[in-house]
Amino acid sequence: MPHPMRAAVIALSLVGIAIACYLTYSRYADVGLACATGGCETVQGSRYSAVAGIPVAVLGLLGYAGILATTVRDTVFARAAAFALATIGFAFGLYLLYVQLFVLDAICHWCLASDAVMTALFVVTLLRVRTDYLEEVRAA
Amino acid sequence: MAKQTVPATRSKKGKKGKVPAAKRTGGRGNRKLPLILAGVGVVAMVVVAVLIIASQLGGGDDAITADAVEGAAETQALLNGIPQEGIALGDPDAPVTLAEYADLQCPHCADWTEANFAMIVDEYVRPGNVRLEYRGLAFIGTDSQEALRTAHAAGDQNKLWNFTELTFQNQGEPNSGWVTDDSMRAIGSSIPGLNTDLMMEARDADEVQVAITVAEGQAESAGINATPTFQVGLTGGALVVVDLNTNDQDAIRAILDDALADVT
Repeated sequence: MPHPMRAAVIALSLVGIAIACYLTYSRYADVGLACATGGCETVQGSRYSAVAGIPVAVLGLLGYAGILATTVRDTVFARAAAFALATIGFAFGLYLLYVQLFVLDAICHWCLASDAVMTALFVVTLLRVRTDYLEEVRAA
Repeated sequence: MAKQTVPATRSKKGKKGKVPAAKRTGGRGNRKLPLILAGVGVVAMVVVAVLIIASQLGGGDDAITADAVEGAAETQALLNGIPQEGIALGDPDAPVTLAEYADLQCPHCADWTEANFAMIVDEYVRPGNVRLEYRGLAFIGTDSQEALRTAHAAGDQNKLWNFTELTFQNQGEPNSGWVTDDSMRAIGSSIPGLNTDLMMEARDADEVQVAITVAEGQAESAGINATPTFQVGLTGGALVVVDLNTNDQDAIRAILDDALADVT
């Protein structure tokens, strides 16, 4: 059994991958998102839904996959890499949330769900890195 | 050295399935974690800054420029010779009035216009049977408000319908910042007979705000909260909401023919 926090990172990454896969599929298959308010289509169709031609959903997919990959080996480097990816995802998610609220005036529920998952990953990966430090300090 | 004694101690205490911290560090200790955190923070800030800048630059290729206004010639040909006055298109004495409630950022409005506007103009407006009124709403966002103000300003020169038709044809992503002074000028300058400078100046006129407020009031009293929505009725009389929001042109013709049948 992996450590509970490592297991949490794996589980959260898989949820994030599932959300990102759905958003990516919706974009490339050109099928509508299951979204009650219609805000998802506005966000998904806006110019902010891609960065340098790469859909944000694909970037999210790569980010979650990267975080998941760091759990294969439990090293300080892997933990720091997971924290770095989660920090990038969390910060960029905040920017996209701002765009939804104050620029597009439309909310994508799937994006909010992804933001929640990435926020949780940010917290858990930070705790994992911090745990390393505290263990070493105590041991010293 | 304290650091070198840690691995053995931690290994003995390490629980099954949990890798001791010292093992994760390769036995070198992990006291540099504050530096790692700082490094992660710097890297994250740089990467996010690059992503945000790239995101802001996205969509620039879609900007409307004076030589890239789609449909200018076709719109001029479609509306040429048909009288316009403010928000109205068509013979003022036409027996039936069709009012369209639309937001210039509304994709469905653009789709509907593309599918049906030319047919209605050719078959009903140009012969003098139906006059159109554009009752613009601006609920999608800031770009809607700016585009609507400019449309009414074009209406001061009796070119509102040219402007709205071209705006729909060149519509950008909702609230993406596509409505700029440059894009409005580009659309305006593609309309023969429209003084673009006067149009831009008239956007802040009281008359423009009055026209917007009137349309909002008409929509509110009719319970209209979505676009496109249509009302039809005898000119000068009460208009009723009709289901014209379809691309079935025969259904649209049937509704307009019914309204015209009431005249005789």
